[in-house]
Amino acid sequence: MGDSGDDPALVAQTLAGDRAAFGVLVERYAAQARRVARAVLGDPDDADDAAQDGFLSALVKLAQYDSKRPFGPWLMRIVANAATDRRRRRKVRSAEPLDPSLVGGGPRPDAVAVQSELGDKLRAALAELPERRRTAVVLFDVEGYSHAEIAGILGIPEGTVRSEVFHGRRRLRALLEDWKE
Amino acid sequence: MKHETFDHRPDPELGDALRAALEPAPGDTARFVARVMANYDRALEQATVPTWEVLASWFRPGLAAAIVALIAGVVFGQAVLKTQDTESIETAMAPADGPGLAALVTAADPPDPSVVFTSLVDSR
Repeated sequence: MGDSGDDPALVAQTLAGDRAAFGVLVERYAAQARRVARAVLGDPDDADDAAQDGFLSALVKLAQYDSKRPFGPWLMRIVANAATDRRRRRKVRSAEPLDPSLVGGGPRPDAVAVQSELGDKLRAALAELPERRRTAVVLFDVEGYSHAEIAGILGIPEGTVRSEVFHGRRRLRALLEDWKE
Repeated sequence: MKHETFDHRPDPELGDALRAALEPAPGDTARFVARVMANYDRALEQATVPTWEVLASWFRPGLAAAIVALIAGVVFGQAVLKTQDTESIETAMAPADGPGLAALVTAADPPDPSVVFTSLVDSR
């Protein structure tokens, strides 16, 4: 998760009016926030809008951040909420799977992963999972957060996180095994 | 290798595959950071100035609370008025025994002071 040891210092500098310090935080967490938002929304452009909303919302709420706790989970909770809000605004029920036509990301020639067949299959498989399940798997296996941290990010019990990760992984691992054979 | 039992550790193989599938385009981070920072000032300004939506959100519960308080006040006031005696001032001023204030004032003969003072003392 990068060099996150000085996150509280960067937060303090931002609160003191140091704009560049916030820029460092955005740069540090940009990829992670965009991946998490994409796990929720599917569409890369929507995901970038949601990730931006998340960063700006975090900027406004920065005084509420407890510097004794890690910054990443606090930020990811805001980003995940921003993505979920954006998804609701699209008037799609959160329990419904994503439209698989969205997860490919459309004609973006700069997206190398989109051109990969495995990437396409994984995104389609993610889209079939319920929103909470695919977000939990991404936070655990991609971003390396603990079950307790994911519980805090998603606002659900830790046991539910374990269950969501287990069921989400089972589907995705089966796909990965088929791909290897 | 099948993973049917619950594993508490992250799966690097699955994690790498998902990361590649969800990764933004290479070299795209700078553009994203610039986009966020371009909205830095606007976000802080919007946070310090209450918008009409915020004021409206305050107004609605305030109005509801005022209506509830008004209804509660009317109900309470009616309940208090019902419990109060509605006797007239004449009834209130009349002594418990004797001819009463009107008879005393209209009598042809002057009243007996001992009777007047006794009635005053009795009324206390």
